Order: sequence, then structure tokens, then C-alpha cells
Amino acid sequence: MPVIEVDRLHKRYGPLTAVDDVSFAVEQGEIFGILGPNGAGKTTTVECLAGLRAPDGGTVRVLGLDPGRDQAELHQAVGVQLQEAGLPDKLEVREALELFASFHRRRADIDGLLDRLGLADRAGARYKKLSGGQKQRLAIALALVGRPRVVILDELTTGLDPHARRGVWDLVEGIRDDGVTVLLVTHFMEEAERLCDRLALIDRGRVVAVDTPAGLASRGGAAQRMRFRPSAPLDDADLLALPEVTAIARHGAQVEVTGAADLVQAVTTLLARRQIIAAELRIEQTTLDDAFVTLTGRADER
Amino acid sequence: MTGRGFRTLVGVQAKLLLREPAAVIWLLLPVALVVLFGNIPAFQTPQHDLGGRRVIDVYVPTFAAMLPLFLALAALPTSMAAMREKNALRRFAVSPVPPAGMLAGLLAVVAALAALGVLLIVLIGALAFHVHAPNGLGAVLSSFVLGFTAVMALGLVVAAVASTAGAASALGVPVMILNFFFSGLYFPVAQMPAALRDIGQYVPFGAVMDAWSGYGPLWQHLAVLAGYTLVGGLASAKLFRWE
Repeated sequence: MPVIEVDRLHKRYGPLTAVDDVSFAVEQGEIFGILGPNGAGKTTTVECLAGLRAPDGGTVRVLGLDPGRDQAELHQAVGVQLQEAGLPDKLEVREALELFASFHRRRADIDGLLDRLGLADRAGARYKKLSGGQKQRLAIALALVGRPRVVILDELTTGLDPHARRGVWDLVEGIRDDGVTVLLVTHFMEEAERLCDRLALIDRGRVVAVDTPAGLASRGGAAQRMRFRPSAPLDDADLLALPEVTAIARHGAQVEVTGAADLVQAVTTLLARRQIIAAELRIEQTTLDDAFVTLTGRADER
Repeated sequence: MTGRGFRTLVGVQAKLLLREPAAVIWLLLPVALVVLFGNIPAFQTPQHDLGGRRVIDVYVPTFAAMLPLFLALAALPTSMAAMREKNALRRFAVSPVPPAGMLAGLLAVVAALAALGVLLIVLIGALAFHVHAPNGLGAVLSSFVLGFTAVMALGLVVAAVASTAGAASALGVPVMILNFFFSGLYFPVAQMPAALRDIGQYVPFGAVMDAWSGYGPLWQHLAVLAGYTLVGGLASAKLFRWE
């Protein structure tokens, strides 16, 4: 039985439909991502799962519980980290953990948690004095303090520098390795690609696709892209004549060619035959970014 | 909520309150004032215009009222508004203790500190400066309790409508000052003009002071206080938003 089941979820705020039709199922022990642009309905979906909002249609189950009806039981077993949920300025790190731990029947070892999240030397620090990364790590610690079976993490690395972000990613993988099911909400492609076992791509309140990151990336249409500055003039028509090439774009002196998996070999063979050198050559595999653009038909609104 | 959870919550709320320098000053100020007034010789002799009572006799209930007024009208609304401002209530909303449980913890701390403060001032007055307990101790005690619930209800109305700590203190502090005035902090109630004194009967801690000194009908004072408690309680319940 899936740990989280969302079936045809629908939620409106007045005339605005935030979640139109969202369905997915999260299995035991996986990191499941919800990926989508801002305003896609990710946070509303999470708030319905966390029991903060009542759906207008469809059903939501977490560990077999109805979040609207069995809130107290749900919050015993599900750790939630919400966007922009602060703490009183003068509350100390250890006090916050002990406070929220005291609400739970099962409690994590506070010292162990502090160590694991790299907060041991900040245990006596007040919330106000913590850096952004430390606040995020405390938020994760608070989600774990009741030894939950499921954790829901909403945009947990937003506003962190790249170093702090990688640290948080390692933590999330550690949580999964302990057998905890993780639902991760993000709008970062890199984060989804690195962490998620599977993910649901959401746009305008609907699920566009559910797949593994690699599976989604391969739906991005073209498999390879290369960009270079030819040392001698090169006709678009000559490139397009190659069966592997699907599209060409010019950026000043640079040519960008997209196409099938063996694109690079076909193009370099052509260039060699014409004795043209490809300067400033860059080759990219298509990524979730491309899949995102292909599947949602949007490029700029992220 | 488990007993352990509630105890931890009350402990944390108490610590947070005592980490505010303003709260510590307000806890100590009435004690310092009663000791100071008690040691001024002129305040130890009966005064004709105070109805034969001494200045210290008149000021003990006034000082005793300071801490409950501060807690209910300044500390309570600002700490609730600060929790809302920092979105800390969202964190409680996804924990096994809902925000209402958090509010209950805060109210318990405020009530306990207020009771402790009143008791301390009255004890210092009685033991060190021979201030007699008023006639009808039961009535005075119930007027203090009702007076406290009345100002707590007003404080909760402020907590309900103020979205930031600054707004909460801008709304709550004037109500606190008004209650200070009619409890005789700035000059004794007994020396107020009759018209002012009549108005004072309808201000929560004016009514409490009248019940203490035996001025006016007791039932009326208790009714005024119960009215504030009821109307304020209903209004705050209606207006309150967790986010």
C-alpha cells in the first residue's frame, strides 16, 4: 500500500483554482519529488497533505489517515517542514527541539539529531542568531524530532548558498537511508535530479508527468545539444541535411545544434570533411530543464 | 496534549517571557515601588483626604494591579503577535499540538505570574508595612480574578486584530495606561473628582480598586468586570485568526 495517496485532488481559493487535478502515489522508503514552477499548486498540495487545508474535491491519504480528520495522529507520524515557518527570536536551538519532541509519543535523541544536522555547537544559540542554512537545518531537525515514518519538505533549500544546499541534500539522502519516506517539494531541477527516486511534474494545478528523473529527461525530446563557433562559414542547410540534426539556432558567431543521441559524431564528421574547426565547443545532454520546457511548453516563468 | 508536552510548553513560554527585558522590569517595578513607598515616613501616617488611611494603604492594591495589567495588555498581545509575525504558529499547526494548545500554555504562564505578583505585593504590604486586608476578602479576591479575566479578554482582542508586535503594543499599551490611571497609579483614586471617579467604575481596574476600598456597590463592579470578560472573550474568539 502506498504511504501517500493523492487522488484527483482539487482546491480553489475563491475564483482561483490552485490545484485542478492532482493524483500520485508515494511508495514506502522513496524520495518522491513534486517539481513545478512557482504558483503550480505545489504548496497547496502539501498543505492539504499536512492537514492545513481541506480539499474541495478528491481524496488525500497519508499512512492511511485522512489529514483533515485525524490531524493529531497524522502529526505524530508525519514530520513537516513548511516554507517560511519561523520560531520566536529568543528560543534556543535545543529548547526548540526539546519542546517539539515533548509533543510526540516517539522521540528522537536530541543530541544525536544535533550532531547529525551539524548544530551541536549551536545548541545554545538563539533562533535569531542562526544563519539561513542553520535555520533550515533546524527546520529539518524539527520535522525529524518525533521519529516520523514520513517527512514532507517544502522548498527546503530556497535561499541557501550552493555549499549549504549540498549539505542539506546529503541530509535528505541520510533520512531516506534510515527508511523514512520523503516527499520533497522543489522548483530546482538540480535538486530534483540529484535527490528524487521518482517525481511528479506539476504545472497549472495539474500533473504533467510522473517518472524517474532520467525517464523525465529523456522525454525532453532532443537527447543532445552542441554549441560551437565554426572557423569558416557553414550553411544551415548542410547541417539540416544530416538525419541526426533536428534544429539549428544561431547566437552571433555561434551555432547551436540539437538532435538525436549520435548528433555529436555526425556533426564532427561533417566539420572534419569541410576542414572546419569547431571553436568554443560545448556539448550538453538534455536535462530535466529541457523536459520541463517540452512538457509544459513554458520556458521563462520558472 | 500530553502532560509532558504541556509542562515543557509552559516552561518554554515562561523562559521566553522572562527573556524580554521589559517583562523583567515590570515584574520588579511594583515590588520596588511598594518597598520604596513603605519606607517614606510621611506615607505611614493616616491622611484626612484619604479617609483616614495611609498612602501605603492606598497604593498596595494599585501596585498589585500593575503586573496583571502589564501581562494581560502588553506581554500577552505582543508575544501572540510576534508568534504570528514570525509565522511560528504554522510550525505548531503541523505538530501534534495545535496553535490553540500553544495559546493555552501562554495563558497559563501569564495567569500564574499575575497571581504570583499580586500575592507578593499584598504579602509585602501586610508583613512589612502592616497594610490590613480589606473587608470582604472573598469579594476583593473575586474582583481581582474577574478584573484579570476582563483585561485578559481585552488583551486577546488586541492579539486578535494586531498583525505585528508593534501594532499590538500600540493598541494594548494605551489601554494599560488607562487602567493604571483609574487604579490610582498617578494619583490616588480617593483624590479624584467625583465625575472622574464615576467614570473609573466602568474601567476594569477602576472597578477592582473600588471593590477593594468598598466604594460603590460591589455587585455593580463585579457585573462590569464580568461584562468585559464576556464581551472581550466573544469578540476575540470571533476575530481571532491563526495566520
